Amino acid sequence: MILTRQAISQAVASGDILIEPFEPARLSPNAYDWRLGDRIRVCDGELDAAVPTDYEEIVIPPEGLVLRPGRLYLGITHERTGSERFAQLLNGDRTVGGLGVWVHVSAPLGHVGHAINWTLEIRVAQPIRVYPYMTFGKIVFLETFGTRTSYQQVGRKYTRTGGIDISRLHEELT
Amino acid sequence: MILTGPEITEAASDGRIRIAPFHGEQVNPNSYNVRLGDTLLTYTGNVVDAHSANPTRAVKIAEEGFVLQPDQLYLGHTVERIGSDHYVPLLFGRSSVGRLGLFVEITAPIGDIGFHGQWTLMLSAVRPLRVYPGMKIGQIMFFVSQGEIDLYEGKYQAATGPQESRYWHDQVASA
Repeated sequence: MILTRQAISQAVASGDILIEPFEPARLSPNAYDWRLGDRIRVCDGELDAAVPTDYEEIVIPPEGLVLRPGRLYLGITHERTGSERFAQLLNGDRTVGGLGVWVHVSAPLGHVGHAINWTLEIRVAQPIRVYPYMTFGKIVFLETFGTRTSYQQVGRKYTRTGGIDISRLHEELT
Repeated sequence: MILTGPEITEAASDGRIRIAPFHGEQVNPNSYNVRLGDTLLTYTGNVVDAHSANPTRAVKIAEEGFVLQPDQLYLGHTVERIGSDHYVPLLFGRSSVGRLGLFVEITAPIGDIGFHGQWTLMLSAVRPLRVYPGMKIGQIMFFVSQGEIDLYEGKYQAATGPQESRYWHDQVASA
């Protein structure tokens, strides 16, 4: 089951959901409308799952930055979100999708216990100018079934991230 | 509702979910990590025709890896055979893989209740990317369903290895 606006609002008030910074006006009927952060990493070389990725980090200026097809961009959510009670699904929104932007390539799932600024995996269908702190997508919250365990307890890789994370898959392959 | 990791483990032991092989260390708080099998399929024609059976070529991913090229679709598969007669499965790439610019599925993360087999992965890379057999590539999550359950009996049932699209199959059947 997916939480409604009112349920998200109550869970933020009670501390069951963390959204930082939280602006009540960004609540939509069953989601929170999150924003793009102000930094982005550009990867335009050849990648290897067994090797750390080379990248260039850019601050997105107020006048915007043009993203190009054929490149991988790693962005970040402006907000940090988390919950020890609910699972989260993060996606773009239909407005950004309509501009030809894939906001997140992989699993949209935020495990219970995740409390992060999300790293975004961005690709574009055609050149598009993006701006810092623009509304970029929706995050929804799900009730869970079964005994809960926390991402913080299982020793996974990205437990306390506040910046953009390149892939750390190479740690598993060496 | 989405199943928790402990519930996935319990369901895998009492048969509500079947995952083979199953390894406890691949369980996350709300999902299970799946591994990349060693066979890839590519379409060999210049145009993929939705109404025809399309010729394919199989390649083995060697231990030293295989470089996926952008603008090319590769059909891969999970090592694991996975399915459930109770819960709705959703399969996605892992974040570690997304951060390498690799799409692991295209447009269809939702599976059917009652499908059991190796899952075909639809691999599409933004940049050239070297991948390795057995690497943990995706994660599958399970949702509680509501309503009477009618099990999958479709054309990809009991799949072993990557399956090319059989859209043409439906086309012929409905003609």
